[in-house]
Amino acid sequence: MAITTTLEERRAIADTVRKLLADASSEKHVRAIMETPEGIDRALWSTLAALGIAGLLVPTRFGGAGLGPVELELVAEETGAALACTPFLSSSVLAAGLLTESGDEAACARLLPGIADGTTIATAALTGARGSWQAPDVTVTAADEGGTTRLSGVASYVMHAAIADVLLVIARTADGHGLFEVDPRADGVAIEALSTFDRTLRLGRITFARTPARRIGTAGWPAVEAALRLALVARAGEQAGGARRIFDMTVEYTRNRIQFGRPIGGFQAIKHMAAELLLEAESATSAARDAAQQLAQQTQGADEAIDMAAFACADAFAQIAATAIQMHGGIAFTWEHPAHLYLRRARAYSYLLGSSGSHRERFVTRIAAQPEDVRIAS
Amino acid sequence: MSHDDLRREVRDWLAAHWTGLGSVGQSMWETNDAMRAWYTKVFEARWSVTGWPEIWFGRGFSDEETRIVIEEFARVGAPGAGQDRFNLPANTLLAFGNDALRITLIPGLLKREITTCLLYSEPGAGSDLAGVRTRVERQGDTFVVNGQKVWTSGAASADYGMLIARTDWDVPKHSGLSFFFLPMKQPGVEVRPLRQITDEAHFNEVFITNAVMPVDNLVGGLNQGWRVLQTALAYERSVMGANARGARRGSADVVALARAAGRLNDPQVRQDIARVVALRRLNALNNARAKADLEQGTSSSIMSLGKLAMSRILHEEARVRTAIIGAESLLAGDAHPVADDVNFLALNAYFTSIGGGTDQIQKNIIGERVLGLPKEPELDRNIPFKQVRSG
Repeated sequence: MAITTTLEERRAIADTVRKLLADASSEKHVRAIMETPEGIDRALWSTLAALGIAGLLVPTRFGGAGLGPVELELVAEETGAALACTPFLSSSVLAAGLLTESGDEAACARLLPGIADGTTIATAALTGARGSWQAPDVTVTAADEGGTTRLSGVASYVMHAAIADVLLVIARTADGHGLFEVDPRADGVAIEALSTFDRTLRLGRITFARTPARRIGTAGWPAVEAALRLALVARAGEQAGGARRIFDMTVEYTRNRIQFGRPIGGFQAIKHMAAELLLEAESATSAARDAAQQLAQQTQGADEAIDMAAFACADAFAQIAATAIQMHGGIAFTWEHPAHLYLRRARAYSYLLGSSGSHRERFVTRIAAQPEDVRIAS
Repeated sequence: MSHDDLRREVRDWLAAHWTGLGSVGQSMWETNDAMRAWYTKVFEARWSVTGWPEIWFGRGFSDEETRIVIEEFARVGAPGAGQDRFNLPANTLLAFGNDALRITLIPGLLKREITTCLLYSEPGAGSDLAGVRTRVERQGDTFVVNGQKVWTSGAASADYGMLIARTDWDVPKHSGLSFFFLPMKQPGVEVRPLRQITDEAHFNEVFITNAVMPVDNLVGGLNQGWRVLQTALAYERSVMGANARGARRGSADVVALARAAGRLNDPQVRQDIARVVALRRLNALNNARAKADLEQGTSSSIMSLGKLAMSRILHEEARVRTAIIGAESLLAGDAHPVADDVNFLALNAYFTSIGGGTDQIQKNIIGERVLGLPKEPELDRNIPFKQVRSG
């Protein structure tokens, strides 16, 4: 991974996506899509695929844009701000990341071009019922039955499971974790769509009952960790972008809402909340961008930067979205007002791909292992 | 001259002249013979204020050229360059002073032969700084000063005080203020140390009784003092955000403290440590992003957040440190250096959350100037100051 674009090029990418989503993923649009059975906007996804967004991380030799974490994060700020209902995180980041990390050229050649052009929606089944996204939580097991590998067990919190064309599944094997490709239409696959708190996000529980599966390379848990690093950078970007958008909407509201004969933003009770949230919003953006940059440059500090972005962006978005409702008052307690859409997203993203508490724990473990001068200089 | 040539010239000069200063503080308030000699050498070689015009001791350098000079000095750890960015009194004088005062004071300020202090706050004018009641009246060719100032660092040794005082009581409060450089070493100026909650005495009260100064010591015009002060305060706040006063005596970082206290395995402590370490790193990232924005010529709202962020960092770190050492925080004194350190940090955090503008005033400023929210109503804004309520 590296940073292959110039600052100007990155600004152009972000501007293009922002302008597209302003029309194609307006609030009205998001509300319509989140009530559909599929929960994604296939027309928008085709448009984004044509722009190279669906294949952003896919190497050019497999039909993708061949970009990295820095561009990923910038695009995610925009998709997060617009609450865009697409399989970006599931297919383009997690699944594409797993395949790229697997080193299995044949699997990459078979699956990545479709992911990149948006015709294949892939997803990844990485965690069990506890939803920790950590290795001990994997309960699917793989067994060799007369030359055919078969998976059994349950994976949960699988994004876009019900509409996926390809499932990538992590399972326990006789020698550690292995990565498998499963056809969702195969015998022994039962996909149950889960009803979600954030309706812009679709999750499913998949039960495997001696389901035939194809091993992907020799990849194991390290490939999952590598894909999760990318997904957490994307999540951080979406959180920072979502936080900024609901913050801007809230400040705008307090400039215009009149009570006691003046705009409520003139009252210190409101003004001070806004000032505190601005610090949170800016910090989230800084954390997400730093994590992306360090991952792109493969620095020594990349892991801890990602851990920090994971909890800092989650907590900032949750605080900003929650406080935004209080600052709006009654209007934001209505279904019609968009503030709750951001709060739902913020709460969902605080646990999807791992909790803030677990990311803080990983962060402390890393920094506690360092000599004091290294820790302080970071 | 190309940038590479300039870099080489600065390097060569430093190689020929810089031999270190030993262990001396580099704060605005401290000076000694070695430091004065070095700053004088830097001044005479015209490295002090390279961005300033040649007639004012500079070289007329661009921002980029000045940055190169600052970088090269920083590389060897030599102070004295970049004072066109960092020297508060000298910048204030260049921006607002008359030629006579500039010629008299700026060289001495840049050479550290002249030291200054800030005569801003008063017992009755803290957050509401425009409400100062120190009085300056003209009598012939001199100004006569009467009043009381507080929270003045370095007042006992300072040669000049940067003074904000009232010169017209018949106009609204912001319109009757003027800014002066008051000579401190005179009979009418009495400095008394102020004992702080930390049991230190870095600050002073300054009692001013019929002190005098030449009319040339007025900076920025009669009754134009608020404008001068705004520039000086903005500068002070940006410096506070970047360099907070935190640990003294090289206190251990939070991880080392928890390890030493046997608490590093406590899950609650670990979560707290992650939070406070992240706060400090996020502030550093915000500052770096603000700097990058500025260098690319885009304005940044992040700059004004640094001081607010730092006060939160200091209070939160102190809270976590206290939780780590637990009952040991009951103790004090030389026999209990860890407790002493933690308790000091808990109390000294207020230095940043109150000094230089309280957090609450900072939030008003961020809300109004950065987010464009309406200003607080000011009941005293449009009435003559002598009619303003006080107490």
